[in-house]
Amino acid sequence: MSAHSHVEGQLPHEPEKATLEGRNKVLGFWLFLGGETVLFGTLFSAFLALRHQVLDGPHADELFKLPIVALATALLLTSSLTSVFAIHAMHVNKVKALISWLIVTVILGAGFLGLEIYEFYHYVHEGHGFTTSAFSSSFYTLVGFHGAHVAFGITWITLLILQLARKGLTVVTAPKVYVAGMYWHFIDVVWVFIFTVVYLMGKVV
Amino acid sequence: MASNHSATEKSPKRHKVEGPKKHIIAFIFSVLLTFIAFATVISGEINKDFIYIILMGLAVLQVFVQMAFWMHMKDRGHTFAIMGILTGVFIVFTCVIMAEYWAWW
Repeated sequence: MSAHSHVEGQLPHEPEKATLEGRNKVLGFWLFLGGETVLFGTLFSAFLALRHQVLDGPHADELFKLPIVALATALLLTSSLTSVFAIHAMHVNKVKALISWLIVTVILGAGFLGLEIYEFYHYVHEGHGFTTSAFSSSFYTLVGFHGAHVAFGITWITLLILQLARKGLTVVTAPKVYVAGMYWHFIDVVWVFIFTVVYLMGKVV
Repeated sequence: MASNHSATEKSPKRHKVEGPKKHIIAFIFSVLLTFIAFATVISGEINKDFIYIILMGLAVLQVFVQMAFWMHMKDRGHTFAIMGILTGVFIVFTCVIMAEYWAWW
């Protein structure tokens, strides 16, 4: 194992930035995250403008249940921590630890997604459908977009785990893991604003 | 050249690889800020506008902590990243102000 990695050349420090391609990938991803910020910002502003337009549907403060939101927040926040552990494992070149932390991240993300699906299902049964009011439409668009990002992130990281298991940690796979970690943190950052603006502010009457 | 190579090989951890300690501290901070936000809303009884300001302050603080530590923005060579995100934030800020204070004028 060690002889093999010696032949390949030792993995450099911060392998995600060892090649020009890797550095460009990270840089390009920051540009993408800037665009994502604008995407979510416009959804947030639409929600802020429309959140009191409930028509006959339920108001935010009678609809939202904070315990389930708190649980979802805990899951996503912990998954952000486990993904940072994964990147740390990558930096000390421990592939097994890296894969294990990524698996934990994916499981926690799936738990979050499951809670959100349950939550939406519950809301629809309480008469809060997508077309009920401007509030419900902007709510589902904003939170649903975030949920779609979580779903995409789960798929992406799962595929990365499979690739890591097959190809190991190289200067090619390392930037992918790093960038996926950044994406996952970004999802958590967006959620911080969602639970603040949508749920907590919705509860304050 | 050969000695140079073995020197780096012998102590790969000599490069400052940050321990997970800072990340755990960032996590504890995030949990704390989240808890305060939820507790403020659950306890209620505070002026509405004041709560909004507290909540936004807590959220911005938490995002700042997470971006600095977890997304490595405090590290060197992140000028472009900071500029990119700040440009996004500027556009977002404009949109939010527009929606919140202008749309229903």
